[in-house]
Amino acid sequence: MKVSKEKIGLAVTGIIVGLSAVILTIFGNPKNMGFCIACFVRDMAGAVKLHSAAVVQYMRPEVIGIVLGSFFLSLAKGEFKPRGGSSPFTRFILGFLVMIGALTFLGCPLRMVLRLAGGDLNALVGLFGFTCGIAVGCFFISKGFSLGRAYKQNKVEGIALPVVNVVFLVALVAFPSLLAFSESGPGSMHAPILLSLIIGLLVGGLAQRTRLCMAGGIRDIILLKDWTLALGSVMIFVVALIGNLVTGSFKLGFTGQPVAQTSHIWNFLGMLLVGLASVLLGGCPLRQLIMAGEGNTDSAVTVLGFFVGAAFAHNFKLVGNATETGPNVYGKSAVIIGIVIALLIAFFNSRIKEEK
Amino acid sequence: MENNNQEISEKVATFRSHYGAMMFRRRYGEGCKLKPVPRSLSSSCGTAAFFYGSQWEEYIDENVEGVYEKAGDEWRKLYGEE
Repeated sequence: MKVSKEKIGLAVTGIIVGLSAVILTIFGNPKNMGFCIACFVRDMAGAVKLHSAAVVQYMRPEVIGIVLGSFFLSLAKGEFKPRGGSSPFTRFILGFLVMIGALTFLGCPLRMVLRLAGGDLNALVGLFGFTCGIAVGCFFISKGFSLGRAYKQNKVEGIALPVVNVVFLVALVAFPSLLAFSESGPGSMHAPILLSLIIGLLVGGLAQRTRLCMAGGIRDIILLKDWTLALGSVMIFVVALIGNLVTGSFKLGFTGQPVAQTSHIWNFLGMLLVGLASVLLGGCPLRQLIMAGEGNTDSAVTVLGFFVGAAFAHNFKLVGNATETGPNVYGKSAVIIGIVIALLIAFFNSRIKEEK
Repeated sequence: MENNNQEISEKVATFRSHYGAMMFRRRYGEGCKLKPVPRSLSSSCGTAAFFYGSQWEEYIDENVEGVYEKAGDEWRKLYGEE
């Protein structure tokens, strides 16, 4: 049987991401949080004082590395192509909603896979929700959903987000007093800066080459019956699971899991919102960082939506409370309203009305 | 189908949206398969239509981004900007 280069690339990337997650956890990142794009962007929003939740403030070098890894590699391979103009404000809103859903569940799709590999069964509930959200998004895609085409942009526009990440890195290394740092809680737990940055660069480069995407993998299975992209997520799970078993970090169950809540309905609905909004955006949070690094300014606006969504989530105490009981009434309302808004965006940007 | 009478080499059409790919397949009919865009053609993860016929130009619309023909291990551009 001939295995395609794309499958081999995705399998290798999955193995390295899974291994990196275990290493980052050993060196200080919170448990089951070697990587979490949602949590890390939330921490970064706190570091630049967009919110004041004292336990989740840190300038995460992993995110900076992922964006710059994608930027440098796409530049080297002639794939850095500044493009944008595909409904940027709608994407901002969808990015905002992804963050509301992810912080309700307490993790992005990548952390969902890592939590599952750590034995956290709440992540299985999240996976069901995520898959349902993607299936709903696929329904609208098959009904002509599109946010419109993107157009060529100038280079300055394309490099803006990578440059912002360089500024973040300089602030972290040379001017840390400008930033807020958690003294306790998940924000205080982190691997050394250089290790986080190098792993971020590596993962960003590999994900750019292989198009690794948590949402895209399930979307391709549903829409095209193609398992290629999902292979990356499967390998992340397998390697992180082995890593957790070897290091004694595996703990099967719903309760007592690190940075998690046990409300099944809100884990399900939170990730349903993430799946739906991600598939409408054309990729999970990790993929948005990669595309932003490649010069996709729509993805850069989406990342901005993540930041603002994270800040709102904490400033208005909507979500993000890592208690066993799940979100409060405001958080629950935010998830429901978020799902309704995502469905309205999907409906009004599809051709369902024309088909009637 | 007439398209199958002139099989030369495999071709792939890329699109601005998944819906564009679906519509292309509908117009083309038998002998057209939807799959992920080959990595060598794009760093984006959209949907592409694979087919063998040579009469593809009549199925082009504003949703089609490019059409390529297999040439050894590479894809040679037949249609599209840049």
